[in-house]
Amino acid sequence: MKPAITTIKTVVDKIDSGGAGIKVFTLVDPDRWELPPFRPGAHIDLHLPGSMVRTYSLCNDPADNRRYIVAVKREIAGRGGSAKLHDEIEVGDTIGVSLPRGGLDLADDVARFAFVAGGIGVTPFLSVAAHLTRVGRPKFTLHMIARGAPPLADLLEPFMKSGHLVVHDTSVSGRPNVAQLIGRPLSDVALGCCGPESMIDHFEQASRDWPAHRVHIERFVPPALPADANAKPYVLVLARSKIEIPVDPGQTMLSVLTDAGVDIPASCCGGICGSCKVDWLEGDPIHRDRVLSPAERARSLMVCVAGSADDRLVLDL
Amino acid sequence: MLDTLNAPVSAVIPSWTGVVRHLHITPRAFLPMREMPELQLVAGKGIEGDRYMIGREEGFYSHRPEDGRQVTLFEYETLVALKRDHNIDLAPEEHRRNVTVAGVPLTHLVGRQFWLGETLLEATRLSIPCRHIEEITGKAIFDPLINRSGLNCRILKGGTVRVGDAVRNA
Repeated sequence: MKPAITTIKTVVDKIDSGGAGIKVFTLVDPDRWELPPFRPGAHIDLHLPGSMVRTYSLCNDPADNRRYIVAVKREIAGRGGSAKLHDEIEVGDTIGVSLPRGGLDLADDVARFAFVAGGIGVTPFLSVAAHLTRVGRPKFTLHMIARGAPPLADLLEPFMKSGHLVVHDTSVSGRPNVAQLIGRPLSDVALGCCGPESMIDHFEQASRDWPAHRVHIERFVPPALPADANAKPYVLVLARSKIEIPVDPGQTMLSVLTDAGVDIPASCCGGICGSCKVDWLEGDPIHRDRVLSPAERARSLMVCVAGSADDRLVLDL
Repeated sequence: MLDTLNAPVSAVIPSWTGVVRHLHITPRAFLPMREMPELQLVAGKGIEGDRYMIGREEGFYSHRPEDGRQVTLFEYETLVALKRDHNIDLAPEEHRRNVTVAGVPLTHLVGRQFWLGETLLEATRLSIPCRHIEEITGKAIFDPLINRSGLNCRILKGGTVRVGDAVRNA
């Protein structure tokens, strides 16, 4: 039997240099068919050779529906995904990608947006900026914090020209005061931030008085989850496969499922990317993700971080 | 109690004439359906350019081959009902069936033959809703589509199907 098709088939149409150790990959359908739509600020998983799955923000305007553009910085101390993309992937190669997920809430009652990005963290805001410009909502500022000349010059050029981009070169003026960049909370202003953890920490501190629904934080790496000292063992029951798997304290559902040969697409493994969503049927799951809404949690959980308050949890697998 | 298992089978063929409202194909799993003015149906195979054409097999369910899934139909009236009863806007390109028809009682046609324009189809089974479509559309349509998720058909006589073509009993 042929294997099930679980990803969108794309081919690498173009690889450009984004400067500063960054490559910009343009992915298209083999027949240049339209690709599944995405929201401004959305991301996709790239399924790379060697069963590596890595998540990257889409950089192009969502209205540009025949391309997915991702910018990848080669992370020397990373887990190997960016190195594989930089060193092994060439124009014409096939890459399976996931359906786009996530994105920013650009509610109609927001009059102005302020985005704060550190280096390559500008990527989720590129599609947002393109979208806002196209739909005639030009009141936004994209603060980009970088050391030296900012990378991704080609992608940033339209916003440089339009005056939306404000570059803060830390080699000249040091780190900007994030609190000053975003100002005091206003009911019709929304914020976004993406960058290294230290910058996000500053941003979280600076935005703590803002209403949560007006603040969007996009992370490169999942935040470390504190170990649960009260975790108890439980049994995972797979309803359709009729398998029971014991889970010890400290083990993740994802790891025991993978060890049991259950193929679960996973990427961030930290409850932020949304890849490993599974429906649950019975029990009392502990949700520790940052991606599912309360309504979604009534039906689904993220197996990379979820636990069980009961001694038995039944999954729809 | 109604004895549904031994209910008499009516010899009366319901009288109806329907019309083709929309035509869609897509070459691969997950990709958006594209609206077409006409489709080429190939007897015993499928639709030119569609993911479930036998020999091509690039659909989400292609790992489960099915001879009776060469072309799929969907009732326009279901789209209206989704809006009316559930306030769900589902566009004709979102249900992911190939042919959207109006005035055709699809659920009554299983096991029967009928004309779709100049092509002759045999209805093999009712389509079943899938979570895959919720994943693609981001809309909670699984439950509302139970029992009205369309019709799978085999192509007995191929040809060109155009928007506006008549649909009628064979």
